[in-house]
Amino acid sequence: MENQNQPAGDGVPWMALEGGVGGAPPGGGYVSRFAGIGACIPAARLTTDELMASTKYKTDIELERLTGVRERPVADAGEDSYTLALGAARDALAHAGIGAEDLDMLLVSSISRHVGGMRIQIEPPVSVSLKEALGARRAVSTDISNACAGMLTGVFILNDLVRQGRILRGMVVSGEFISELGRNAAQEVRDVLSDQLPSLTLGDAGAAAILERAPDGAAGIEVAGFTTMALHSRLCVAFPATIGPGTTMHTKAREIHQAATDDAVPLLREVLDQAGLKFGQIDYLLPHQTSVRAIKKAMEQWSQEFGGTPKHVIITVDELGNTSSTTHFVALWKYLNEERLAPGDQVMLLALASGLEVGIVLFKPGELVERYGHDH
Amino acid sequence: MGTIIEAAATATESSLGAVQLAGTAARLCLKRAGRAPHELGLLINAGVYLDNNISEPAIAALIQDDIGANLWRLPAGGPGTFSFDVRNGACGLLTGIYLADGLLASETVNTAMVVAADADPEPGFTEGFGFPAVGGAILLSADDQRTGFTAFRFATFPEFASLSQSDVTWRQGIPDRTGHAGRNVLAVKIAGTYATRAAQCAESTTRELAAASALDLGEVGLLVATASVPGFAGALAERLGIPAGRVASLPDGLAGAHTAAPAVALEPADLAAAGTTVFVSAGAGITVVAALYRA
Repeated sequence: MENQNQPAGDGVPWMALEGGVGGAPPGGGYVSRFAGIGACIPAARLTTDELMASTKYKTDIELERLTGVRERPVADAGEDSYTLALGAARDALAHAGIGAEDLDMLLVSSISRHVGGMRIQIEPPVSVSLKEALGARRAVSTDISNACAGMLTGVFILNDLVRQGRILRGMVVSGEFISELGRNAAQEVRDVLSDQLPSLTLGDAGAAAILERAPDGAAGIEVAGFTTMALHSRLCVAFPATIGPGTTMHTKAREIHQAATDDAVPLLREVLDQAGLKFGQIDYLLPHQTSVRAIKKAMEQWSQEFGGTPKHVIITVDELGNTSSTTHFVALWKYLNEERLAPGDQVMLLALASGLEVGIVLFKPGELVERYGHDH
Repeated sequence: MGTIIEAAATATESSLGAVQLAGTAARLCLKRAGRAPHELGLLINAGVYLDNNISEPAIAALIQDDIGANLWRLPAGGPGTFSFDVRNGACGLLTGIYLADGLLASETVNTAMVVAADADPEPGFTEGFGFPAVGGAILLSADDQRTGFTAFRFATFPEFASLSQSDVTWRQGIPDRTGHAGRNVLAVKIAGTYATRAAQCAESTTRELAAASALDLGEVGLLVATASVPGFAGALAERLGIPAGRVASLPDGLAGAHTAAPAVALEPADLAAAGTTVFVSAGAGITVVAALYRA
């Protein structure tokens, strides 16, 4: 399809942008902040050695060397997308110190929609039963779907509504039961060129983020931006499996990684410009967790492009695998609990997801850090 | 400043899958509005029953690709297009309009399109799928001279969740095209009592919308009401005391249209002549979304 790009808008950002200099809404409005981050991570672990020992065909794939993934959490009996989301939502409410009845909006952004084991629920939306189970009786609820950028898409939507004063508080939550894609892939991969290789890195987790209106002068989300580079929309596609229950995902890994790494550069620049920051002034960059090698390779390219590098790059894929839409908030939850973030740290969340979706959220944790750690 | 509807369009070519139906409707909608694809700042897909039951990427990205809207970044600047999916069943299109209304009001985007389409993902293998293949699109923008959408009301009635359900589950012993001894099967189950309950839930939510907006239902010029079952709009109008002549009807063959139904009902309507329009969608959950639009 021919790209019907508009005539170049001189200096107009490519991303839809909220906050920062000249960002929406014009003239300011309120500031939103993260009030609580929750997670629900299954206790059971599947090591990469165990997974690769289960492949149907004898392969010489050195998955751990290629991806850095040593192990991933896997749902046990009784755990699925719904239970993981519910657990994470309750955890986020507890950390935020609010009740579900205080939520004005509830967005469910899971890609996997397993409710009742391997059953994939299409209708009703999962948000209906989650809203009921939480007791979020006032909340406007809906499911949204945007691949691994789903939770950040929810943050983008909630941030917009909080900044305008349309809502006071909202939650976005995902539960991803996706280790089953790895088990399906193990039945079909034959070599390192398999388009199901990325499925072998997937892990299960639930995560939730609550946004609320920040008090005057308090730290919060500074800039949020999103765009879709649809030229690459068919590089990663998932649908119900043909070999057994669940799902299979087919990814042109090298192509999508390179497209994401290249396309992210001018978009990162747009967000940094909007915030009046340089790349090297970011304290923590939290990219989507695909593989250690992919993250390090992208960082090398970006550091050269920007002439600087963030002080810390958060990597959790080695021990948690790629937990798709939940990766950013599972990692953030871990760092908060380990008391590794300071209130004034400049944190950048970067979603690079099939679509190709590029989403960036720049924020300072502020009082959020006080809600985690040994005292809580 | 209000969010206004610039145009609506539908597509019904039965040979097309859901993604193509949505894309066809989107192109026609843009043409009717006199706009080009690159003008879309936001593209939301609300369709549920999609080609091969695809779960990733967002279908909106595929549609954006198909209509050629800002596929890659131009060095000199934008804005580009942001795409994602809303999955709120038969209420998805109105939910998408609600989310677009927020992003338009804040001037995060200037133009938005909400599209929806459903088609049998695997004809011959699905169970209970009775929705007609149809795609719809509604183009929205912000207008500082007109009122547009002024209120939305959402409600869920989980006590009726069992009345409309669909899922994909593995069925052993049903061979697929490649000879596997089983397959994943989409099954849609809608109870006989769903239509009545949906109308009952929709009535209460619409009355809440009217009360919160100081709206006299007698002044409603047009009711656009859909719930994926034939006869819903008429039944709801009767409950609300809105004359049958003010009800947007669905054409023969599309009376059971699913997520695209509001666009189908809206396509021939004259919103300016109607003055005040009430949109109501009900779907599985039971979920209801109602919206008030003043031309």
